[in-house]
Amino acid sequence: MMTTRFPTRRALIAAAGFFAGLTITGAMAQETLKFGLAMPLSGGQALYGQDQVKAAEWAVAAINAAGGVNGKKLEMVLLDTRADPQAGIQAANRLVSVEKVPVFVSAWSAVVKAIAPVANDNKVVQLSVGANSADIARLGDYTYTTFPLADVDISAVANHAATKLGKKRAAVLYINNETGVVAAQIYRDVFSKAGGQVVAYEAYDPKASDWTGSLLKVRAANPDIIHIQGLVADTPQVIAQMRQLGLTVPVSSYSAVYNPKLIEQLGKAAEGVIATSLAPGVEDKAVADYVERWRKEVGREPNGLPYTQYLYDAPYIVAAVFKALDDKKLPLTGENFRREMVATKTFDLPLTGRLTINENHTVNKPVFLMEVKNGKWVQLAVVE
Amino acid sequence: MLSFDIVAQILWTSFATSSYFVLFALAFALVLKVNRAFNFAQAAMMTVAFYAAYTCVALWGLPGWVGFAAALAASIILAIVIEVFGFRTLRRRRADQIFVFIFTLIVSEVVAFLAMLVFGTWPSTIFPSLFWPVTLVGNVAVSQWDIPAVGVAVSSVVVLFGFLRFTRTGQFMVAVADNPDLAELYGIAKQRIYLATMLTAAVLVALGMFLYGTRAQVQPTTAIDLMLFAIAATIIGGIGNLWGAALTAVVLGVVQNSSVLFIPSEWQGFLLYLFLFVAIVFLPNGVKLPARRRLTRKTVAPDLVGAGSQES
Amino acid sequence: MEYVYAVVILIGLYIVLAASFNLIIGYGGLISIAHPIFYAIGAYASAILSRDYGFPIPLAMLAGTLIALVASIMVALPSLRVSGDYLLIASIGFQLGLIEVFKNASWTGGAGGFTNIPAALSASVPREVYVAIVVVVAALAALLVRAIAHGPYGRAMAAMRDDEVAFSALGRNAVAMKVGTFALGSALAGFAGAFYAHYFRFVAPEQFDILQSSVVLTMVVVGGIRSTWGPVVGAVLLQALPQAITFLNLPPAVLGPLQGLLFTGLVLVFMFVRPQGLVSAGEVWSATRKGSEHARS
Repeated sequence: MMTTRFPTRRALIAAAGFFAGLTITGAMAQETLKFGLAMPLSGGQALYGQDQVKAAEWAVAAINAAGGVNGKKLEMVLLDTRADPQAGIQAANRLVSVEKVPVFVSAWSAVVKAIAPVANDNKVVQLSVGANSADIARLGDYTYTTFPLADVDISAVANHAATKLGKKRAAVLYINNETGVVAAQIYRDVFSKAGGQVVAYEAYDPKASDWTGSLLKVRAANPDIIHIQGLVADTPQVIAQMRQLGLTVPVSSYSAVYNPKLIEQLGKAAEGVIATSLAPGVEDKAVADYVERWRKEVGREPNGLPYTQYLYDAPYIVAAVFKALDDKKLPLTGENFRREMVATKTFDLPLTGRLTINENHTVNKPVFLMEVKNGKWVQLAVVE
Repeated sequence: MLSFDIVAQILWTSFATSSYFVLFALAFALVLKVNRAFNFAQAAMMTVAFYAAYTCVALWGLPGWVGFAAALAASIILAIVIEVFGFRTLRRRRADQIFVFIFTLIVSEVVAFLAMLVFGTWPSTIFPSLFWPVTLVGNVAVSQWDIPAVGVAVSSVVVLFGFLRFTRTGQFMVAVADNPDLAELYGIAKQRIYLATMLTAAVLVALGMFLYGTRAQVQPTTAIDLMLFAIAATIIGGIGNLWGAALTAVVLGVVQNSSVLFIPSEWQGFLLYLFLFVAIVFLPNGVKLPARRRLTRKTVAPDLVGAGSQES
Repeated sequence: MEYVYAVVILIGLYIVLAASFNLIIGYGGLISIAHPIFYAIGAYASAILSRDYGFPIPLAMLAGTLIALVASIMVALPSLRVSGDYLLIASIGFQLGLIEVFKNASWTGGAGGFTNIPAALSASVPREVYVAIVVVVAALAALLVRAIAHGPYGRAMAAMRDDEVAFSALGRNAVAMKVGTFALGSALAGFAGAFYAHYFRFVAPEQFDILQSSVVLTMVVVGGIRSTWGPVVGAVLLQALPQAITFLNLPPAVLGPLQGLLFTGLVLVFMFVRPQGLVSAGEVWSATRKGSEHARS
């Protein structure tokens, strides 16, 4: 009699243990849903990259604190690209073959372009967040952007100048690199189509420190608005020299100049400068809270605020698609992610509002036009 | 398009902005001439000079002249380190020229990385504002930066000229430049002269970088880009020809700026390489200036024998 | 795994670059840092010819190599006629100037880079084949440089390095030899570039600038100048080590510029403490005792 009880008790204990083990390992196997983030953590672009990473980390923490994806934790695998295409390829390879993620977020146009073949060959989705080269829409089936590409904000500012501000003669001054050349062409085309005339169209060398020749040419053409398409490193000097040479007409530029340092560097000469932003500013409560959190926890505002907003929202997109796949009990592969993301199409995101991912791998977003008034950036208009 | 006002404006502003290039070119050309070293590490000297000034003025709020003193000190200290621990050691080992060049390249990169680590890569200026008020002279805009800049450049050239022509150390530098071994035979301490050259270059670099950093933004890698112009001016102006280098720096600046009036603006940057190419292929000895002859003729052996025996 | 293959291929390509650069600056005694531009020419030429002009890939790669060869002769011949130092200046100017052209011309994809380069092997061929090919090419390159250095050509180069005046006095043409060495090394670099283009399928001008020059330079100097296996060791170390470090999960703020500092610092240390590099060159052709002592200093 006793002998028959032992096996039963032992069997019960063993069975209990077995099932406990199953649920524990089962839970551990489903514990985290992984996705990748490939950003410049070192090198020249790290000052932007690190802030963008912090924003993404905050988002992942917020998502997990709110219960994760159907109770499972979202895990972000972070790798350094140094904004270098080759390092980007290594990072992508590692995310794909070692970490085996179905989707990863990347940034910086050269890196996104270099990684595209890896994404396509391995059927892993690449979400480009922040890079704005127009080519990104044509990098194959598995590269999507969640950030508007170059034409969106430039078209908005060109249209606004021609229609709302009533400007008829625009001068375009652009830096002679990929960003500058493409964007300048877009401005010219859009401004002309809106009824204006581009009276001067001058390039300048990225290494230049003196723009007298180009500026004099622009001055001679007598424009009523000047659009500068440069980098954060040179645009303030261009504007300074412009004002010194007696060009008092309004200046417009794009998101690169939208930072408080410009006002500090130019003083009164910054008055009236118009810049674009692709994300809502502190007029939006969520954004105001976000900026306040930066001030409290880090002691400053983030570098490239709008970009960090998009990076904050990226994990939400990933989480939403993961949730949809999990609800449908589909495996988390790149192919499924892509299909589900395209099917979902529209996402409501905390810091950048509604996002619609188009069939042709582009997105449309409202453009916020900001102007320097009385030494501060204020919102001038919103263009849909 | 080519009105007097426009030409005058371009000439004036290019002349003013060429001030820092003249200083950089002179520093590079001097070290090349006397030490026979392709001092790419000058970019490192430029970077430390800028960030020393930036730290004092922008970060600690000290007045401008303190910033300049800091720039001078930093650049001189680095020059001493490079010369004593770098060049001297390599010279003693009779290292291949390629080693010397690699050394200077690596030093520039190390300093750039250190600057990135400490200061980040956001572009910065010495003074918080880079806007300088303008007065109109005739129809030409003259900014408050222009006059001091031109003044510094012109006086530096004059002082350097006087230094090389009239002071003992300066004359020794010219002697060593011509023939180091012969100069040594006459009792000139070669090593000390090499150090003196680096120190002179350091002063020029500090001046130039202070000027640049009060008008334009600087990142850790900016100096490496600026070096290209200095090197081009030195090559086109004639290696060994200081005043040729200085003049070329001015001319190149003016030509680059006025070129937009004649050629499509996209080709402006390419112009520099075109001149470099022409200079390398067709003018290997650079543009000849008569002044050079006069300078060498002055420093003849008899003067040195008397001076040298008291010196060593 | 894709990741490991990419690392191995990069190591292989850098072995070719380091070995050919060693040929130029080590055995040839020439002063140049423009090696990456010939790598770039090979990559771009092969990419453009195969994508936009429909060349079959092997032919495009060959064409890329030849164009790199011709370009290097065009740079070396006029400069070496002036002096050895002049080659340095000319090659830097050529490198930076050509990068400007790549950045501005539309047919090179401009500053954004050249995308969608056709892959060398169709998708059905396993990746391992490409890896094997590159490994073989790397080994052959190292052995080729060794063969040259140990052969009569190498002996002549050593003589030229030791005393160029005597060399010329013996009736040998120093300029021709230098140009030939430069051309051979640069052609090898172009060949490696073509391989790069068709594996990674994207090239951008910024990948071939002075920073890249110092990477290859470091490999040769730290690995051991004028030794056969030095550049190989240098290439493996300088490609594998950074990758290995990333697995250590150091905080990114530390990792960043520290990596750059680490490797430039390494070069400085090696230059002053152990100038012969990790693999010291046994002097292949030591004439007199005086000559070999001089060489070993």
